[in-house]
Amino acid sequence: MPKRFVTTKVEIEGREETKIVELPARNPEPWGEDAELHVVGQRIDRMDALEKVTGEARYTADVHLPGMLFAAILRAPVPRGRVTTLDLAAALTLDGVRGGITVADVPDVKIDGVRLLDQTIYYANQPIAAICADSLETAQRALEAITLEVEREPHAITAEQALALNAPAVRKSGNTHKASPRQSSRGDVDAGLADADVVITREYRTPTALHTALEPHGAVAEWTGGRLTIYESTQGIFMTRREVANAFGLPLTDVRVIKNYMGGGFGAKNGAPHSTYIAATLARITGRPVSCILDRDGEQTDAGNRCATIQRVTIGAKRDGTLTAISVDVTISLGIGGWLSSPAKIYHELYRCPNVRSAETFVYTNTGAMASFRAPGHVEGSFGLERAMDTLAHELDLDPLELRRRNYAERDQDKDRDYSDKRLDDCYTFGAERFGWTQARARTRNADGRLRRGIGMSSIVWSAGGGPPAYATVRINRDGTIEVLSGAQDLGTGARTVLAQIAAEVLGAKIDNVRTVLGDTERLPFASNSWGSITTASVGPAVRVAAEEARESLFDAAAQLLDTEPSDLESRDSEIHSKSNDKCMLFSEVCGKLGDVMISGHGSRGPNPERTAISAFGAQFAEVEVDVETGRVRVIRIVSVHDSGRIINPTLAESQLEGGIIQGLGYALFEERVMDDRLGISLNPTMHDYKIPTIGDVPRIDAFFVDGSDTVANHVGAKGLAEPPIIGVAGAIANAVADALGADVREIPLTPWRVRAL
Amino acid sequence: MRLSVNGASYDVTAPAHETLLETLRERLQLTGTKLVCGRGECGACTVLSDGTSVYACLTLTAACDGREITTIEGIRTTGALHPMQAAFIQHDALQCGFCTPGQILAAIALLKEIPNPTEDDVRRGMSGNLCRCGAYPKIIRAVMAAAQAGSAPDA
Repeated sequence: MPKRFVTTKVEIEGREETKIVELPARNPEPWGEDAELHVVGQRIDRMDALEKVTGEARYTADVHLPGMLFAAILRAPVPRGRVTTLDLAAALTLDGVRGGITVADVPDVKIDGVRLLDQTIYYANQPIAAICADSLETAQRALEAITLEVEREPHAITAEQALALNAPAVRKSGNTHKASPRQSSRGDVDAGLADADVVITREYRTPTALHTALEPHGAVAEWTGGRLTIYESTQGIFMTRREVANAFGLPLTDVRVIKNYMGGGFGAKNGAPHSTYIAATLARITGRPVSCILDRDGEQTDAGNRCATIQRVTIGAKRDGTLTAISVDVTISLGIGGWLSSPAKIYHELYRCPNVRSAETFVYTNTGAMASFRAPGHVEGSFGLERAMDTLAHELDLDPLELRRRNYAERDQDKDRDYSDKRLDDCYTFGAERFGWTQARARTRNADGRLRRGIGMSSIVWSAGGGPPAYATVRINRDGTIEVLSGAQDLGTGARTVLAQIAAEVLGAKIDNVRTVLGDTERLPFASNSWGSITTASVGPAVRVAAEEARESLFDAAAQLLDTEPSDLESRDSEIHSKSNDKCMLFSEVCGKLGDVMISGHGSRGPNPERTAISAFGAQFAEVEVDVETGRVRVIRIVSVHDSGRIINPTLAESQLEGGIIQGLGYALFEERVMDDRLGISLNPTMHDYKIPTIGDVPRIDAFFVDGSDTVANHVGAKGLAEPPIIGVAGAIANAVADALGADVREIPLTPWRVRAL
Repeated sequence: MRLSVNGASYDVTAPAHETLLETLRERLQLTGTKLVCGRGECGACTVLSDGTSVYACLTLTAACDGREITTIEGIRTTGALHPMQAAFIQHDALQCGFCTPGQILAAIALLKEIPNPTEDDVRRGMSGNLCRCGAYPKIIRAVMAAAQAGSAPDA
């Protein structure tokens, strides 16, 4: 019978795509909330922790192939202009230098709209040329021997500068993305505002934030027999393979991308960056493997960022707090390129409101391009929306939590469809209880002392359903051990562990007998980028289907050996037994008898439910202490409650929550790229000057999940949880600071000088 | 010069400006020690020099003559993890793992100095080691647990 293909919608970071997808061979009953599960839901140790604590985990920068050369990148010293002289000759004659490349040597690819090694300069630190040598030090020294002359032209590094009359042309196509202004609306905002008892209007600003993954972008490239192997620190091995194959005119079979361990991604490592093409080109020219790893300066200036935004918001409400209208105009600084993540989207979906309009203007500037950064768009928009909500609550003399409850969105208003499941009300209830919200609100504020305390909260919504395509293979070896194979990536999220747990659950296997293999395009079935919080909800069901198929074969074989029917068999702890328990065999015994006759199963991810929004939800509560003399904000505690469907491994899931909250705290309090207006270069491209949270900044964090299983979303019941915890952190902290000081907070990060000015 | 790393002795001819980090990673292929900032800002390259934590990126190899250097590869005794490594696994005190070798060595040095630290001691003692994944709450737990296990009477 021919297989059936259907169309389905998959939402990734706010972008909805239609996919044509094959229906999986089987569609298991969803694991409901009360499903009796033994491995899923357990606190299993992270499976790759051993190699990480011993230093044996080999990251891309640790790959050292025989004869390998090291590359260094020459970058533009000015933010706009053109190269007038570029001469590598002197550098190429130096001892130990093995090759050099300029735009003439590399494939004609564009990265964020800029040609690789272009001699027209669009932003400071744009790659211009590259050298490879026997050592990194030699390559770096050789850069200094390159003759580079540039003609500087006027630049625009902020949205205001780029939008000004007579602004320099940042890109040939203009200074805004052609989709600008991107408009969206429902209802009648003017009528809604006319109907309101209270209307507030504010302008909010958010900074350019840098991912600052500890492992920078980088690749090691090697050509063998005309085929290219790339070790890459990437969230998407298949996307990287496709882009590299296109660039070099190779069939996909001739490019292999491997990612075993990576030192963080956070959204910035989603395709082939400059370093990949540079490594591959230099490797081809020299006939030797080449390692091209960004230095910290390159990572902090040319490897993506969260867009700075200006949000002009007007919100109207009735006296009882019912929202009547929301209007928001957002200006977004993309840098030289990127994609259109939407700060306005959260205004359309988080709280119930019949009349909403937004317009987003995406502005090109002479700075490094943006890249997805953990919940792109929502994190920025959430700050403005949650500040506006608190301002409204203040005007209406309402409890901020009560205001949010009164505007509870039962449906996905933006797309007029139901949610698969929504337990935000539970998050409010449990969060407020754990935090002691009511008691804390009743406490009198110290309005005179030097140290002032305040509390604030916010809500979370994030599309987290994942979807097809995603594939997995499960195979059982002759000793009864099990391999789960999928071309997904574990960024440090715990995907390896979680997928093994799902397979162990289905097979009734001991978790210690299961190993997950990820991150190799040549050996593994396709899975998409690990982005948009999709891996568990996408690959998890595929693993379940693959494991079900493998279990069926295993039980068939065991039934033969035990002289019974497969339907009479059950398994637990890698042991198969009949229901009456009179017959049993270990997996290793069954498979040992089969020898090299392999038991395996293949699974795929089925389509998403039609006309249904699948989202994760949550609530953040924060308490802060503000030193009014120094302006220093100390976050004392965070309570964070999440509805993420079924939790496969609570320990790893809580680690994700804590990590997201801590990144959100950095965004709220310290993190901003600072540019020199005149020179157009970054003033803080180091880890000292671009401050990320340290262990000393971390408050008491109480982060947990409400029980549940989203059986509409997929048959594992899981939703994504990597991105949601960063959403709303800045809003909750800013609301707490506003509460502490009785002041309006309109801009983050809340550095001491900004707090002092409140 | 003779460089002593993890109990083994190496004959190293390093230029005067070569850092210990370069020597470890590039000459000795001890890649457990990570390069992140290269300028003493993040702690990812933390190793022990005579038991005290140092940033390998700010330490000149030439200055290590006569010192015993310990890296992440050297704290595991035959067949057994160092208790701090075990505590990091048990408490899930890592995510991507890139900062982990430095965190573990900094924690070992901290407990050598303060065997029974308070949580504040841990925060202060570990504040030179950045973790972008935000494993900090669990790092605190792991270090506290390792300290308690280490000071238990039967340990």
